[in-house]
Amino acid sequence: MKTPRWPRTLAARLTLIFLVSLVVAHGLSFGLQFYERYQSAMTMMLGNLEQDLTTSVAVLERLPADERAAWLPRFEHPNYRYQLDEGQPGSAMDMSTAPVSVRSMLATLGRDYALTFTTIKDVRPHYQAHLRLKDGSPLTIDVRPSISPLSPWLPAVLVAQLLLLLGCTWLAVRTVIRPLTRLSNAVDGLDPNGQGEPLAEEGPVEVVYAAVAVNTLQERIATHVKERMQLLAAISHDLQTPITRMKLRVEFMDDSAEKDKLCNDLTEMQHLVQEGVAYARSMAGSSEPGRRVDMDAFVQSLVFDYLDTGKQVLFTPGSGAAIETRPHALRRVLVNLADNALKFGSQVEIRVDTRPDGGMLIQVLDRGPGIAEHQLAEVVKPFYRVESSRNRETGGTGLGLAIAQQLALTLQGTLKLFNREGGGLCAELTLPARITGPVRKVVGDSAVDLPAR
Amino acid sequence: MEHVDHILIVDDDREIRELVGNYLQKNGLRTTVVADGRQMRAFLESTPVDLIVMDIMMPGDDGLVLCRELRAGKHKATPILMLTARNDDTDRIIGLEMGADDYLVKPFVARELLARINAVLRRTRMLPPNLIVSEAGRLLAFGKWRLDTTARHLLDSEGTIVAVSGGEYRLLRVFLDHPQRVLSRDQLLNLTQGRDADLFDRSIDLLVSRLRQRLLDDARDPAYIKTVRSEGYVFTYPVEILGDAS
Repeated sequence: MKTPRWPRTLAARLTLIFLVSLVVAHGLSFGLQFYERYQSAMTMMLGNLEQDLTTSVAVLERLPADERAAWLPRFEHPNYRYQLDEGQPGSAMDMSTAPVSVRSMLATLGRDYALTFTTIKDVRPHYQAHLRLKDGSPLTIDVRPSISPLSPWLPAVLVAQLLLLLGCTWLAVRTVIRPLTRLSNAVDGLDPNGQGEPLAEEGPVEVVYAAVAVNTLQERIATHVKERMQLLAAISHDLQTPITRMKLRVEFMDDSAEKDKLCNDLTEMQHLVQEGVAYARSMAGSSEPGRRVDMDAFVQSLVFDYLDTGKQVLFTPGSGAAIETRPHALRRVLVNLADNALKFGSQVEIRVDTRPDGGMLIQVLDRGPGIAEHQLAEVVKPFYRVESSRNRETGGTGLGLAIAQQLALTLQGTLKLFNREGGGLCAELTLPARITGPVRKVVGDSAVDLPAR
Repeated sequence: MEHVDHILIVDDDREIRELVGNYLQKNGLRTTVVADGRQMRAFLESTPVDLIVMDIMMPGDDGLVLCRELRAGKHKATPILMLTARNDDTDRIIGLEMGADDYLVKPFVARELLARINAVLRRTRMLPPNLIVSEAGRLLAFGKWRLDTTARHLLDSEGTIVAVSGGEYRLLRVFLDHPQRVLSRDQLLNLTQGRDADLFDRSIDLLVSRLRQRLLDDARDPAYIKTVRSEGYVFTYPVEILGDAS
């Protein structure tokens, strides 16, 4: 047998618990009240019946025989009436299943009269009690037990109550779930760099505790990230002075193969140091304001710069539209992507396209070895190098794509890498039509306090 | 007697300033090295120099402050070459806004520094004194375009950034600094060839056609850059200098 499955969402569980328990509790109290009312009504009814029977029979007894018929209507009740005859024929009543009213009759009239009961099978079954008055004339009490009809408003009230229950349950569940949903949404939107707004510490006490805890955690993570970045920036920055000195000293050396090698090593170190600083900066977000930029001219000027330094880069223009973006950050992203493509591939091409939502799609394509599928997600991580390639010789720092990825985020865009059909890599940058929201909050002088000045 | 250019080097790192000084001396320049702004001012009081090489990051008054001070005083015509530790566009922009003529990112190769010094000296000497654009945050307006000389891009009539390549920018600057004057191809090559001489192996004609395209100038009937047969090119529009770039 399949056991009913416990619903997965908290809202459904709470609704279920609330609704079932409320309906059961309500049903119980309604039933109890109904039973109690029935009991008291019965007691009262029987008491009335006993009194009425005694009185009516005594009155009939004292009336002259010819006046009795005229009095009968006065003694009529909805449930029973008196007849001055032998009654209808019927079968003798089985006394073991006799209704309570029979016992009441026996208890009151039974002392003075001999009572016989007959059950009449009619459209509506009823019973009659037969007795003989003192003068010998017959008297029949015709009892038609009937349930007093339910008030017509009762079902309506019941439905209304059920609706009220449903409403209360919904309200209760919503009250409980809403702060939780808000909290989880807010946690979702948190920025690990601690740049975003902290969570609002409001709502029920438990949620406030959770929000405070998350904010504290967030702060600690941000401090940690910041310290790490400061360390990276400080090391990178402080290395620049000794490298400068060394580079100057090399100039005084006699020309030799050693000098060239030393020079190359220094250039490589310098590159690493600069990329380190750039990465630390890119992690710290951008305070650059958004500007409207003609995207075709932007990319084409970049391509011309490459052509002027003797590097072949093809350019496929888009529609010539302009978007609002951060030009310096965008330039850095494109330069890093293009440098990467030039380093590992050939036939480098940059394509610009407008997206239906008004944003831009910029693709940097090459025909190179591409990147193994399982490494695609890894290459945008800092200091990651594709191991199989001969990148050591090509002098990569492992930061170019990481910086591009970080800056793409500050442009509120996305950077996607994938292998092209027919070989080669495609780096696809999607940019929104405009930068929304304020420039990211900058703490102090700059988000990561670089020791630059 | 042949004039020997006198270069003043301002850097707080003793080794760097001495190494630079020695290298430049070895290459036929006269050099003086000072450690900070105070010494620089004291020295300039007595001796005029041909060019100042200045580090941006220094204790006390930094390079930017000194640069602005020089530009405001009697040394406003002395070319300044900034050394910056930050390979960052904002630094370059700030440096140029403060009135530096060129900048070089640390760590640099001494040969590159020498080449830049020579380029700046040549450029400032070749530049006729009719228009020397070196003040802060300058916008040059011509026709329906504006050129932001610090951020090095064009702005169209709606304020949209229209980027230009390095070569295009330098050529346009030369035209804007010499409006309504016929410039020969040789002059243009010389003036644009500030540095990275190999950059300009491509002929000036190609750069002019790119620049026309960028300015949406019709090559058959150009409005901005006109071809003067067998002489060169002329920038036909008057150039207006606007205030701050913003």
